[in-house]
Amino acid sequence: MSNYTISETCQENVFSHFFKNHIKSLRNFLTYKYGNEEQAEDIAQEAFIKLWQNCKDVPLEKAKSYIYTIANNSSLNVIAHQKVKLNYQKTNASNDRSNESPEFLLEEKQFKDKLLTAIENLNETQRVAFLMHRIDGKKYAEIAEELNISVKAVEKRIHIALLELRKEFKNFK
Amino acid sequence: MEENYKLAKWLNDEMTDEELKEFQSESDYHLYEKIKLYSSELETTNFDEEKLLSKVIASKNQAPKVIPLKQNWFLRIAAVLVIGLGLYFSYNTFSATNEIAANGLKTTFSLPDNSEVVLNSGSEISYKKWNWDSNRNLNLKGEAYFKVAKGKKFEVKTDLGTVSVLGTQFDVKARKNRFDVTCFEGRVKVNYNKQEVILTKGQTVAFENNNKILFENVSETKPSWTSSEINFNKESLSNVLDEIQRQYNISINQKEIENKQLFTGKLPTNNLDVALETISSIYHLKYSKTEKSNYTFEEIK
Repeated sequence: MSNYTISETCQENVFSHFFKNHIKSLRNFLTYKYGNEEQAEDIAQEAFIKLWQNCKDVPLEKAKSYIYTIANNSSLNVIAHQKVKLNYQKTNASNDRSNESPEFLLEEKQFKDKLLTAIENLNETQRVAFLMHRIDGKKYAEIAEELNISVKAVEKRIHIALLELRKEFKNFK
Repeated sequence: MEENYKLAKWLNDEMTDEELKEFQSESDYHLYEKIKLYSSELETTNFDEEKLLSKVIASKNQAPKVIPLKQNWFLRIAAVLVIGLGLYFSYNTFSATNEIAANGLKTTFSLPDNSEVVLNSGSEISYKKWNWDSNRNLNLKGEAYFKVAKGKKFEVKTDLGTVSVLGTQFDVKARKNRFDVTCFEGRVKVNYNKQEVILTKGQTVAFENNNKILFENVSETKPSWTSSEINFNKESLSNVLDEIQRQYNISINQKEIENKQLFTGKLPTNNLDVALETISSIYHLKYSKTEKSNYTFEEIK
């Protein structure tokens, strides 16, 4: 049985499928963490390379925690956290309001810019948890598993993140 | 605690209607609502997943890192040399050093403290270089002349006895059963079979077969053998012939010689014919050369 699962990770189609399911969220997680997409992609790639090279020893059901462990243990010699590059989706709910007044649109744009700055100013753990939820739409339990912390800890981070964001907006006003 | 994380609950749509109503009444609710809305519209930049995947897949086909042997060659040679030199030096300092003077040859050498040693033919000295200055002792087989530098106790050990000194010049001769010590400068303490004799400048002592057979003054300032002649003091004929064999690197057969007279006198060490002639005339012997460097002595009947 175990032999079967072991070889499974090594099958290229199985591995590719696993890769496609997880590469984006892993890379996003690392981007939130380090604020640098290139390095995030390098580390994500490195994690998958390790998994691929050690596929015999890593059963498929453990592959996810394997790559996240590598990602969590990764560290960068980067001087400073760079700005997380985030975009707003082009096709989104706000399109419905495209017939709103220019004033409203301007206000909305300002709000969006402020929100990005505020997110940028969050500390790493809160930003990572918050963005994993908002952008990748992950459940708290999922985030907890990937960050190797408890669900309660995730909730705490999200809660504080929201408090901090609100504080930032208050400061703007 | 639950209360504390209500924002997290709300963001995840886990609030009960009651909780939600209460939260909606708060002044910040509108702001939170906007944060929730706009943050859900966020996305990261896209990237080429396929390219990354093919890179990962290809990584396995790359040969595992091989560190070429060449790279280590130099280090290996260096390591071998270092170990070799280390062994050589430790062997040199910790193991006994041997100095040998073969028959027909004399050797002069210096000890680590610059004490001088002249080895007579057919003699051997072994000593340890390590820690020599505080442990000056050496083993002697045969005869040697010492000029000892000042320092701690200097000991010459032979099979027959031990000589210990403090900065002197002396000669030690330990051949077969005969043990001769002559002091040329300073003082020498001689131990032989529980007997102890202290020699001062110009004194000589000889032991043979557990007995002190000689204790007298000499006028020489250094052993005669260091200058092309050899001095015998009440030596048996066989000892004298042994010495000649060593000095000239020849072999001598003695045929039925019963003369027990002791020999006192000098023999040259650079003229074999004179030496052999002297012995044969004193002991009334005749000698003949049987083959190259092989001589036979027999009594004249």
